[in-house]
Amino acid sequence: MDPRFTPAQDEWRAEVRAFLDAELPARWERNSEFYEDEEFWKFAFAFTRKVSERGWVGLTWPTEYGGLARPVIDRLIMAEEFTYRDAPLVNSLGWGLAAGALLAGGTEEQKLRFLPPIARSEVFWAEGFTEPGAGSDLASLTTRAERHGDGWLVNGQKTFTTWGSHADVMFLAARTGPVGSRHRGISIFCLDLRAAGVTLTPLYNLGGGRQNHTFFDNVEVPGDALIGEVDQGWNLIMNAFYGGSAYAPYMEHQRMLDKLVAWCRTTIRHGRPLIDDPITRDRLAEMALIVEADRLLTYRSLGDMRAGRQQPYAGALGVVVQKEGMPRFAELTNLIVGPLGQLSEGAPFAPVDGGPEAWYRQAFRNHAGGTSQVKRMVLATRGLGLPR
Amino acid sequence: MDFTLDDDRLALRKVVADFFAEKSPLPVVRRLEDEGTGYDAATWRAMARLEWTRLGHAESIGGVGGGVLDLAMLYQEMGRSLYASPHLESVVVAGGVLVATGGHPALLAGILDGTSVVVPALMEPSGTYPPEGIELAWDGARLTGTKVLVPYVDNATRLLVASRGTEGVVLALVDPTASGLTVERSPNIAGAPLFTLRFDGVSADRVDGGWAVLAPVLDRATVLRSAQIVGAAERLLDLSVAYAQTRSQFGKAIGSYQAVQYLCTDIAIATHLASLATLRAAALLDLGEPAVQEVSEAKARASAAARVAAEKAHEVHAGFAFMMEADIQLFTRRLRHWELDLGDEDHHRARFAEALLAS
Repeated sequence: MDPRFTPAQDEWRAEVRAFLDAELPARWERNSEFYEDEEFWKFAFAFTRKVSERGWVGLTWPTEYGGLARPVIDRLIMAEEFTYRDAPLVNSLGWGLAAGALLAGGTEEQKLRFLPPIARSEVFWAEGFTEPGAGSDLASLTTRAERHGDGWLVNGQKTFTTWGSHADVMFLAARTGPVGSRHRGISIFCLDLRAAGVTLTPLYNLGGGRQNHTFFDNVEVPGDALIGEVDQGWNLIMNAFYGGSAYAPYMEHQRMLDKLVAWCRTTIRHGRPLIDDPITRDRLAEMALIVEADRLLTYRSLGDMRAGRQQPYAGALGVVVQKEGMPRFAELTNLIVGPLGQLSEGAPFAPVDGGPEAWYRQAFRNHAGGTSQVKRMVLATRGLGLPR
Repeated sequence: MDFTLDDDRLALRKVVADFFAEKSPLPVVRRLEDEGTGYDAATWRAMARLEWTRLGHAESIGGVGGGVLDLAMLYQEMGRSLYASPHLESVVVAGGVLVATGGHPALLAGILDGTSVVVPALMEPSGTYPPEGIELAWDGARLTGTKVLVPYVDNATRLLVASRGTEGVVLALVDPTASGLTVERSPNIAGAPLFTLRFDGVSADRVDGGWAVLAPVLDRATVLRSAQIVGAAERLLDLSVAYAQTRSQFGKAIGSYQAVQYLCTDIAIATHLASLATLRAAALLDLGEPAVQEVSEAKARASAAARVAAEKAHEVHAGFAFMMEADIQLFTRRLRHWELDLGDEDHHRARFAEALLAS
């Protein structure tokens, strides 16, 4: 056990930083928000392609799939630096969700076909899991894919489709088994979002972004769009996001904390810098403890994976901590800045560039990928062995 | 960067776990509390024969090597079994001070072979943690003032007293039977042998160093107290889960109710976060880092976990846990002592903030 990064890992971190210094405008970091303006997306796509040109999108994947076969810890270091600098590496549902699932359970032919275009950032993916009637209980999903010649015919509806209007294809979970077959009758498809019969209608979220309802009306899907095996999609869903990638969401909190500490040093309240106020100090300490908890959980989980050890509590504990930490962190930010914290970015006297206002709204995205309550149930049953 | 315990540490933890499972079952814990000494002399000698009283000290001064991370394996299991002994006080703190100052070789040898027990006297009636709370006066030869919450005085060879002289914090060795010293046993929630000491011009043998020597030693002890809390809290989690699996109400195991599941997951989360922070702090200390922020993170997390584990375990066990015959209260009471020892959550959060915000 050695909590320090090696000199070689520090060198890699320096290389990543140099890349970000060269490619990102000065003071690029934004508040934690969805951004929908065209300029942002143009820049984000161009930036993402530059990351691809270096081979970093598939950093850890085998070379035959467009990767560089680097260790996952290098991907974590990259994620830490990218997240801290708010680098707009888009297509996380491609290189994270779809690629993770393909690496875990795709056939050799599917990996060779789907992964290289993701590594090159040529194909932008959306996610198609959640339905109006199937949220926490995802296994009850009803969108159907029925055999149709050599391919499939898809009917139904998905919702909350994040970045759907920017995406080319969807990682779709559809029912191929009989009604009531739950997790045993679900298959995964790569569905072309530009195919006839696909309609996206906007849903605007509290974080300033557009999500979507996605409707499927007799959408024809070719036979080779199936990912994995028929009726075996549940395992791919369970493995989504896990294969070959690494995430450092705590670095977004770290960035906010650093900005807030700097603001507290220069803000005078009751005749003294806010940084000297004991209540503020304790709140900053709690924020840093939230950052460190997520960091330690991530490092430990990575270590267990590398050592081939079983994760404590069936790997179900960290996600609860992370989800419950998000709104608390935003709440603490707002408790510190006080009455002006309700002002949005751009308003005169908005503290910390309006960050507290944006973060407070944005923190409620913590349900993505499953609510903390569902994750608590998983921790209790799978992690602790309590009865269902 | 590697955040997993190596096989040697896991093997050590297993050996230690087996030892304490045999030597310190809960009926023995109860008996020792009733007898008042708080620990078993035969088990202490057995520990010394296994050279666990030399662990964490260099071979060049009579130790067997190893570091805080190795000791953390020991302390997690001492916590899990509620095994009590003066190991932290004598081997880690007093031994650590004597190793750092290089004096009193015979006394150090006794500490390392378990035949001498030296306990630090740190806290005073103000209830302020060191160094601020150290007010007991040193006049160059004698000590005058009061210490509280001093453990194992009835079995101590020497006391290591933290006092204040003109030059700052002064450490001094005192014979517990010295004239001018009154010793009074203090009843406490843990049922631990804790004493109030009143010094009235007690002659003492000064130890070189002072706060600069004591502070890093207390940091090591703080991490190990955290490890001990983690072990006890993990045991409370196991007991609570087992009870929730078997206790049936309204025709179902109570562990199938989400309200009860939440109580159990609260314990798991608080305990696991304390465990991760403790292991990181231990590893950093072994690498020679000061790690003040990480040490305080560990104890802040551990002190919080001590409360969460006890309080939620009581909720899960309800009325049963309020009965002295139930084992939960053995943990509740000791965790309260360890939560407060060497700095409570507030103290360490403030110290964490101090390190975090130092510019």
